[in-house]
Amino acid sequence: MAEPLLSVENLSIAFGGLKVINDVSFDLEQGGRLALIGPNGAGKTTIFNLLSGVYRQDTGHIRLGGEVIDDVPSRKRIGYGMARSFQNIRLMPHLSVVENVMMGQHARPDRPGRLLAPLSIFGRSRARAEAEALLAEMGVEVAPGQDVSTLPYGIRKKIELVRALAARPRLLLLDEPAAGLNETETGELMAFLDRISDSGVTLLVVEHDMALVRSLCDRAVVLNFGQKIYDGSTADVQKDPLVLEAYLGPRHAGESAKEAENVA
Amino acid sequence: MSGYWSGIITLLSINVVFAYGIYLAVATGQLNLGGAGFQALGAYAAAWLCAEQGWPIWATLGASAVVAGGIGFAFAFPILRLKGVYLVLGTFAFAEVVAGVIINSDALGGAMGLPVPEFIDWNVPAIAAVCVALFCFYLMSTRLGLAVRAVHDDDVVCDLLGVDVRLVRVALFALGAALAGFAGGLYAHAYTYVEVQTFNASLSIYVLLYVLLGGAQTAWGPLAGAAFFTLLPELLRNTLPAMKSGLYALFGAEGSMSPPDESWRFVALGVVTVLMMVFRSEGLITRTMVERISHPFRSTRKEAL
Amino acid sequence: MLLIQQIVNGLMLGSVYVTVAVAFTLTISILNFLNFTIPTLFMVAGMVGWGLAFFGLPFGLGGPLPWPLALAAGIAVAVACSLIVERFTFRYMKMKHGDSTEHAIPLVSSLGFLLILENLVRISYGSDAQRFPGPGADLTANIGGIFVRVPQLVSFVLVIGLILGLVWVINATRTGRGLRAIAENPDAAALLGVEPNRVVPIVFMLTGMLCGLAGALFAVNYGEVSPQMGEDIGSKAIAGMVVGGLGSLWGAVAGGVIVGLIEMLTIHFFGADTVQAAVWGALLITLLIRPQGLFGHNAIGKGKL
Repeated sequence: MAEPLLSVENLSIAFGGLKVINDVSFDLEQGGRLALIGPNGAGKTTIFNLLSGVYRQDTGHIRLGGEVIDDVPSRKRIGYGMARSFQNIRLMPHLSVVENVMMGQHARPDRPGRLLAPLSIFGRSRARAEAEALLAEMGVEVAPGQDVSTLPYGIRKKIELVRALAARPRLLLLDEPAAGLNETETGELMAFLDRISDSGVTLLVVEHDMALVRSLCDRAVVLNFGQKIYDGSTADVQKDPLVLEAYLGPRHAGESAKEAENVA
Repeated sequence: MSGYWSGIITLLSINVVFAYGIYLAVATGQLNLGGAGFQALGAYAAAWLCAEQGWPIWATLGASAVVAGGIGFAFAFPILRLKGVYLVLGTFAFAEVVAGVIINSDALGGAMGLPVPEFIDWNVPAIAAVCVALFCFYLMSTRLGLAVRAVHDDDVVCDLLGVDVRLVRVALFALGAALAGFAGGLYAHAYTYVEVQTFNASLSIYVLLYVLLGGAQTAWGPLAGAAFFTLLPELLRNTLPAMKSGLYALFGAEGSMSPPDESWRFVALGVVTVLMMVFRSEGLITRTMVERISHPFRSTRKEAL
Repeated sequence: MLLIQQIVNGLMLGSVYVTVAVAFTLTISILNFLNFTIPTLFMVAGMVGWGLAFFGLPFGLGGPLPWPLALAAGIAVAVACSLIVERFTFRYMKMKHGDSTEHAIPLVSSLGFLLILENLVRISYGSDAQRFPGPGADLTANIGGIFVRVPQLVSFVLVIGLILGLVWVINATRTGRGLRAIAENPDAAALLGVEPNRVVPIVFMLTGMLCGLAGALFAVNYGEVSPQMGEDIGSKAIAGMVVGGLGSLWGAVAGGVIVGLIEMLTIHFFGADTVQAAVWGALLITLLIRPQGLFGHNAIGKGKL
């Protein structure tokens, strides 16, 4: 079997004595789609923050494309081909749509002449043209010069995705991409993500919407209180007794999977 | 050109250069409330090199920027670890320490100040202001300028997008300090005298207000802010008494009014500040406004979609 | 003996700084707001007190008031001004989307109010220093060879009582619980049933009272008021607050006393011109080496992640 794109080994981190992530390991193969699920406070976003370098793990290793990136500072991890979205949209509010997307290109290795390139006005117009093209290609139909803060939630969510894509990542971390979207928007998002995945980008998704998880991902890792309790196919996840217990509490663990689906 | 107009152009030009110096720090989200300190460094560097070392004007002006920029760079590394209120206090304290050191330094004339033997007329500051403004417009239109504005909005996300946030902030702070020092050098030669009382806390406050009220999103902001607040009092000085005597004449009363006191001018600046913060805290000129003016058709067409 | 005398003087002076530093700390720790109007409120109380004791009520409504009444009115005016500031600064803070200079909006507003209040006082009463017709500085007690002015001693005790009262209010009353909840987390406080619009004005009322009282005590003790008197006190109080630690009440007390001592000892050893540099230097060194100060904790003023 080929080397997995992302490999997480025995990851742990504690905040003030509380083990938020406890000895979690999983692999994600190139081009795969993995869902990271679990009840509130299970540590899903913390895993994302560890992967992107916002936090430094206490123990364990993170490997990306075979390289250990434990000591790579957060700023440089995007250069290893990892981009992410955020649970609450984090677009720069005073930048226009296209400028936000251009920020996604900032660290791309194909931008020549690291030190002085940012000073070139030509570099900027080229970057702008490319960002506009990417927006159009992804079907974001707003004026590129518009302020992002005035746009509706669903469109901003899309722009954040396009910004992450502008970095041309190998691995895309999506933190609750469907949260706050209505049914139509969720459908659009699904098509959008399918297209991204088909172009060869590996997806790691934190999501609550089980329907979306099942139709998007074939595999899920379930966390509860910072520990991995399930790693397997999304089809079987709601039959697993440990998962049922995590979501419903021990009393209900024996009840039917049908009910579990309703709750999740 | 009459003395009155050359005086105004000189003052305006120096204020524009000074405002751009503070703007570069503010554009990255760092409030620099120590502007007077950097201006004092530049002014005293130019004055001392001119009076004691006999350097030519072009060299003293260059040195004023280099000295203030260098000290700003050395200061920026430790101080930009601080955020928010701490940073404001740190820069404010820096200006006070600079003033305290100068006033106790015999070589720099202490509280008496230093005379500057070489005089420059209005044209040198005017050319300098145009060049500085063009430079700042260029800087903000590059990809570095875009990163600067992004850092202002969200430094955590910028870091994850690969922007060296610290480098951007230190570089812009130091560059701004150099411009503020350059403004000080221009001041020294234009007024041929420097004394430390000129570079007080109020000056730091005013120039920060010029930038914030003008708008820190685009390079138009400091230009608008500095121009507005330099020219407005001049305008008031002439028109207000005329209006008042006109009003008196209308009611058949005799009377003349002295031009408005300096204090009223600052009350007006204060009122404008408070109202702007309530109604338009992003400043007079915003990016959207510039966008709409420069591409009137594109934005209306797309908004209809 | 002279040194001990200076230390006692430093303590007495420090108690005035302590009062203003506590006012700064209250707004910073509860609202994360560096309120630049605080020194101005201090000045307003003193100047209005002087104006009422010297000229009497405005518009010829009454003759000169006895000085205790005049000072009480001065304090009331300071509280009223503080509440006006609240109305125009803090109440608008929450309405804008977040960016890294968001905290600057009320700060900049308070700079605007600083300009308005200070210059209105200048326009009403002129910019000169005035002799305050208080009980005079002649009442001096000789305690073992150390001279202490009686009003100073009284105000020293008063300040200690005031701080203890404030600590009691914050730690033991319902209002205090509300204030602490807002300081901890404004959003959670709203969920717990603490209404920011009712609690925040209390902070400003306390601020106005503390500053007004400090201004009144200063006027009585030093027998002199001026529109500039706030600037000096303000800088010392800010330095005291930072040295003691932002957000810590006892830190502000300790810091105010330390700055009073630094001032007197610097005068004793190096002369009056070095005070400013020494006090601000202490602030800057604290910020660079230990930003949280002697007693503060690290979270305040840093902005959000």
